[in-house]
Amino acid sequence: MPRRSALPGIINFAVFILLEIASLYLLSHSSDLQKTWIAGAGNAFKGAIWGSSEKVRNFFSLRGTNEKLAQDNFILQKELISLREQLRLAGADTVKIGKLPGYTTLPAEVVKMSHAKQHNYIIVNKGYEDGVQEKSGIVTREGVVGIIDAVSAHFSYALSFQNADISISARLGSEGGSGLLVWDGKSSDGAILKEIPLQYKYSPGDTIYTSGHSLVFPPDIPLGTAGKAKVVNGSTNEIQVTLFQEFKAIRYVTIVHNNSFDEVEEFLR
Amino acid sequence: MKKGFWIAYVLLLIAQLLLCNYFVFTPWMMATLLPAMVLCLPLNIGTAGGMVIACLTGLGVDFLAEGTIGLNALALVPVAFARKKIISIVFGQELITREKLFTIRRNGLTAVLMALFISLTIFLAIYIWADSAGTRSFGFNAGRFGASLAVSMIFCVLSVRVLTPSDSR
Repeated sequence: MPRRSALPGIINFAVFILLEIASLYLLSHSSDLQKTWIAGAGNAFKGAIWGSSEKVRNFFSLRGTNEKLAQDNFILQKELISLREQLRLAGADTVKIGKLPGYTTLPAEVVKMSHAKQHNYIIVNKGYEDGVQEKSGIVTREGVVGIIDAVSAHFSYALSFQNADISISARLGSEGGSGLLVWDGKSSDGAILKEIPLQYKYSPGDTIYTSGHSLVFPPDIPLGTAGKAKVVNGSTNEIQVTLFQEFKAIRYVTIVHNNSFDEVEEFLR
Repeated sequence: MKKGFWIAYVLLLIAQLLLCNYFVFTPWMMATLLPAMVLCLPLNIGTAGGMVIACLTGLGVDFLAEGTIGLNALALVPVAFARKKIISIVFGQELITREKLFTIRRNGLTAVLMALFISLTIFLAIYIWADSAGTRSFGFNAGRFGASLAVSMIFCVLSVRVLTPSDSR
């Protein structure tokens, strides 16, 4: 059977559109009511078309917007750390606090990250040529992400917080007891706060912060909220924590390095 | 036969003008023959040609009878655009291939009513929608559509009998 050409169909459709447009034109010039109606429909159509094209353009510019937001986020985080430091200096004993280390910060982008293992890792796009040093922390606005373990010229390898080998010093509430926060090994937003002495009372929903005792992370970074607890060995509480950080959504991070880290390490040796 | 068709076509056009001018009793109802006239156009006229004839027919009625120029043309062109598809669905592809016009006697009243129903639905839906221009309620438009469909169906069946000579002889 011979194949039918599509040309007549296209011509018919073109004639149809042409005649309908001509009819609409005549209609709009014949009555004010129809003129207003057609103009309104035309505007709605144009609005829909331009609105859609604007959505497409916005979608393709998302990467640029994300980078700009990450940069803004980094600047704000840097200011936050600096202000916290100033607050601490203003409100406490200057002799003791004056020796507290400051932190150097650097924005970075995650280029690779594992989630499904027991020993997860992160690779970021900043290396020693950018000033990154080993034992620096990686944080975001929502919490702690990992600790840098090895550095090359342009990339850094970090142990993710979702790693059975990582524990960070965390504090329960603004003035509660400190303990070790470790990943629960199961969920993407679950952690366990260990070794909280029984005398520290808490309520489910209390915020967990970095304690600042570890030399890697600045103090007072919110990490998550406290959940159920159980007593371990009759002496400490072990509290379930729901992390603020959504690890699967991490893309832009901030590397923080304690400026006095080497000095303190040397002193400890 | 062809000459007879066009004479009948022009007479029906005049009848439509009379209907538009004198058969107006209520805003809830209108009577039209135009979809039947377009549906009965000879099948050797292509879709594009049919649309041009439909547009001219609609404009003729608009100019000579009704005040809103373009309204009948706007509603009638889609009927002409769908004409061959309607005939092929209701009466079968053979009619299109042989370019033979349908008749009530040969194809049956039910099939003709079905074809007229589809054509009138297309015409009236567009006509009433454009005529109301967003100022009338859906209920009013639906009521007008139903009443106009019922009345126009009778006129359209009569028009088909006039335009298909094998039935009238």
